Amino acid sequence: MDDGVLTTLKLLIIGESGVGKSSLLLRFTDDTFDPEQSATIGVDFKVKTLSIEGNRAKLAIWDTAGQERFRTLTPSYYRGAQGVILVYDVTRRDSFMKLENWLNELETYSTRNDVVKMLVGNKIDQDDREVDRNEGLKFARKHSMLFIEASAKTKDGVQCAFEELVEKILQTPGLWESEHQGQAFQLKDQDPGRGRACGGYCSIP
Amino acid sequence: MGGNWCAHPCLMPLSWDNFRVVEFPAPLKETGSVSESLNFEHQLRLLPHQRGDIPHTESWYGIQEFVVITPGTNSEAVISESKCNLLLSSVSISLANSGCQIPMFVQIQQKWRRIYAGECHGPGVRTSFEMVQLRKVPSQYNHLSGLLDIFKSKIGCNLLPLPPVDIAIRFTYILQDWQQPIWPQQPPGLELHLAATWLHLTEGIVVDNDVYSDLDPLQAPHWSVRVRTSENPQCLLGDFVTEFFKLCCRKESVEDILGRGYAEEEGKEAADISSALSKLTEPVAAVPLPKLSVSSMVHSARKHIHRHRHIDESPLHIDILKSILLYLFPDAAVEKSSDSQSKMPTNSSKTSEEKLCDNLVLQLKSAPTDSLTYRLALGLCMVNYSYGGLPAVAHLWQEFVLELRYRWENNYLIYGLAGGPPDLRCCLLHQKLQMLNCCIERRRRRDEAPSGMGGSRQREHKASCGQGPSSAAATSSNQAKSWDSWSDSEDEFFECLSDQEDTESLRSERGPDSGKGKAEGRLHPYNDLTLLNSMEPLYVPVTQEPAPMTEDQLEEQSEVLAKLGTSAEGSHLRARMQSACLVSDMESFKAANPGCVLEDFVRWYSPRDYEEKYEVDEKGNKVLTGELSARMKIPGNMWAEAWEISRVTPARRQRRLFDDTKEAEKILHYLTMQKPGDLARHLLPCLLHAALLKLQQEESVEKIPSVEKNIQQAITQANLLLHSGSYDYKKLEDFINQLVVMETVITRARSLKDKFAVDKGEPGEATEELKKFVSSLLEEPEVVVTGAGQGLTGRIIHRLFLNAQRAALLVPGDDDLEPERKKAGESGKTSDFPSPAGREIILRTYVPRPAPYSKALPQRLFCVLMKEEFRLAGAFSSDTSFF
Repeated sequence: MDDGVLTTLKLLIIGESGVGKSSLLLRFTDDTFDPEQSATIGVDFKVKTLSIEGNRAKLAIWDTAGQERFRTLTPSYYRGAQGVILVYDVTRRDSFMKLENWLNELETYSTRNDVVKMLVGNKIDQDDREVDRNEGLKFARKHSMLFIEASAKTKDGVQCAFEELVEKILQTPGLWESEHQGQAFQLKDQDPGRGRACGGYCSIP
Repeated sequence: MGGNWCAHPCLMPLSWDNFRVVEFPAPLKETGSVSESLNFEHQLRLLPHQRGDIPHTESWYGIQEFVVITPGTNSEAVISESKCNLLLSSVSISLANSGCQIPMFVQIQQKWRRIYAGECHGPGVRTSFEMVQLRKVPSQYNHLSGLLDIFKSKIGCNLLPLPPVDIAIRFTYILQDWQQPIWPQQPPGLELHLAATWLHLTEGIVVDNDVYSDLDPLQAPHWSVRVRTSENPQCLLGDFVTEFFKLCCRKESVEDILGRGYAEEEGKEAADISSALSKLTEPVAAVPLPKLSVSSMVHSARKHIHRHRHIDESPLHIDILKSILLYLFPDAAVEKSSDSQSKMPTNSSKTSEEKLCDNLVLQLKSAPTDSLTYRLALGLCMVNYSYGGLPAVAHLWQEFVLELRYRWENNYLIYGLAGGPPDLRCCLLHQKLQMLNCCIERRRRRDEAPSGMGGSRQREHKASCGQGPSSAAATSSNQAKSWDSWSDSEDEFFECLSDQEDTESLRSERGPDSGKGKAEGRLHPYNDLTLLNSMEPLYVPVTQEPAPMTEDQLEEQSEVLAKLGTSAEGSHLRARMQSACLVSDMESFKAANPGCVLEDFVRWYSPRDYEEKYEVDEKGNKVLTGELSARMKIPGNMWAEAWEISRVTPARRQRRLFDDTKEAEKILHYLTMQKPGDLARHLLPCLLHAALLKLQQEESVEKIPSVEKNIQQAITQANLLLHSGSYDYKKLEDFINQLVVMETVITRARSLKDKFAVDKGEPGEATEELKKFVSSLLEEPEVVVTGAGQGLTGRIIHRLFLNAQRAALLVPGDDDLEPERKKAGESGKTSDFPSPAGREIILRTYVPRPAPYSKALPQRLFCVLMKEEFRLAGAFSSDTSFF
């Protein structure tokens, strides 16, 4: 399974309770939808291998509980995450209003400052939408996040959300490490002395 | 200058040997137009700074594009005259046959003499390049008039009068010994090269012969200056960091270094302490906060040394040890005036500057600059460099751990660590220290409880619910060995100490309407909500704080959680393992809200899982009804299950989620086991952080753009180097060398500024000009001095030379001042300048050659006169059409 895997990425899913974080993850990893998905306690964990432009990346995805009280427990899992999926529920404005808090939380506890963030507006299959797509887009732009609307129930946008996030991570230099990094870099280092001081005329030795 | 040649070497076998042919196309930067290549400034460069095997043909002959044929690396030089001539005529023939207009050179004579001769064929023109090289300057050619004679005789022109010869001269003076009493410990090792240049002189305007010279550098119209740094500048910062870095690879344990005997006694001591500890932690014997003086910590450390060792044996002198310990634990110095309470670290609001610093912490994964960890790194680095190396490091570390144990033992918070759980963005050692502080804080809070009340409650609890923990918790603790720290300490109970809670509980105990039992552990009412089954307000309970974790513990735990796999069962098990906190909260909630139901709990804990809507009842009234969300109603879901098994227990009587005693001992043990090498690896990020900060700070004074840029790059690089799991020592070494380079540049800047008295001058245009001059000296290879010898900068440079000359006169000896080069009109006095280290003279003219009716063609002679080199390079053109 691990053969040909370019890298292992740690992803994190955060957002208010009941916005469908676990459902999104279940749809992505198992392609199923469980209307009786129980409320997450602490953190949950899933793995999936994704192929982006011929590069296989193993994703270790940590799904967190959204309840206020768990927020003393879950931030420790933010450590080392390269990508974050921030979820809100388009049918519940309050879940959208709380996004700012989640970003603060992320800034406080994330151990790296170049994490790639993806904003997902979930439950677009439902009729009682309260948050317009443009509002989500605007918020995402303002905070330099990727953005997509999705429905874990109908499958809409789910795969795309994860793929785009991973693609962006792979495009960010220094954010991920190749499994064979040592070798790759050594080759570069062994490059013998750059063109010697050809124009040596001017330089102070 | 500045442009790069792309040389394309290829090997050419000739009848007797291999030759290397290198083509030097015109530098990419500026294609040398004719006017450019005739530009004198462009061509005049002093020779000693040449490097590599690039021929100096460029400056010697004033051309930029050429082909050079040199003997192959393993071949003999072309020395015999016949061989030379054979080669040169071959070149000539090939040029003529190919119609190639690029000059072609052959290296002849011994390689070290760097003699290149060659030819160039143009339409109707042939230029031959000839060179002479000697080790001594012949006295008859040691001046302009002698060189003019050579030039004229070489041209061999029979036209009379000869057209005027265009002369360009450049004298280079080297100022080597810059006395600088201000910085005695850091010899700057700078060399100042002053080039005084006369462009476009005409023969007859200046006189320079063996008895008299007009060429006074002070009068030269152009001055330019270069600075060279000596090979090994002393860089204190770099040395400190390098030495500390070397520690990373040491394998010795503290015991290896300090001796077994010491370690054993240490062990005995530790045993005593732990037994004392168990007494201390005995809940019944809750010790009132001892009014011990904090300074006794340092004293005890000192006594300790006296007891166990002779002073001469200890690697660190007691005074040094004491002052470093005071630096690390500054709270020990001010103990007498105030009690320890006031010295608790506070988490005050942060300024923007601190945020910037925080960012560096994050990038390097080090520790805040005001933290104990950071100071420890500096202290160890200092001790390592100046006070005894490895043994001193081991000694200080041992004392440090001893001090921590003392603080744990006596419930003194460790000074200089931010409160709260370990900051996972900092280095592991910092997290461990923070964790130890968490333990001390938790224990202090327990100990500070009103002893009578606390004691009685403990006993009450022991009597009432000794039947063991809840099943959920039991399951979890069995499965999760990693954080079941509470499983073997059932006697330890969490003690909540909120005053409010006490009053609340007292009130509710007395309250007449608390029919369903005594409410306990209330924090405050929750949003004016009342319980669903009664009119009692819904109270937020006092809860246990979850156990803080350091990153290694977290990793261990994540691994355990991840190992459960991704199946539904795995998920379920994971949830169970993490439900201890949920169950604890439920129990607290039940205790604070007698008669409550799961719905009440969910309304507080996960409000969105309680769905409310207005319904119209049978009487036609709008009634607010609510129910649990679908997911909470699933039979057998974890929340319902946890609610079932949780008992009515206030947080203070629950089993502790976090066993501070055990945790503290674990950390102290961990610290004791660290070898100096481990320690250096732990603290390297802090030290690099300090080094970068120092460089940044020094740079901000000097304002050197290149260093500023390099520091930013270095931070990015350090981020990559320090965040990867294991250190790449080779790369780290390179990185440290980069820091040294930056330090050198800053040192150089400072030294230059000092010499040019940039900071002492009154503000104004002059100072601004000087500042600009000095900063361009640092950034650019060569800087033009505005106003030459008469300008402001020029006068300072003049004075520098003058001072050096005077100093040299005071020490008579092997100075090889050439007496004949004294300044005119000041005979008897020494010159303001030393004799030039190099003189370069270009003579140019246009004359018809070889016959008077030939076309007038450029003729050029380049002369270099140095102490150990005399070189003439002539380019003489002749008309090939009319001769």
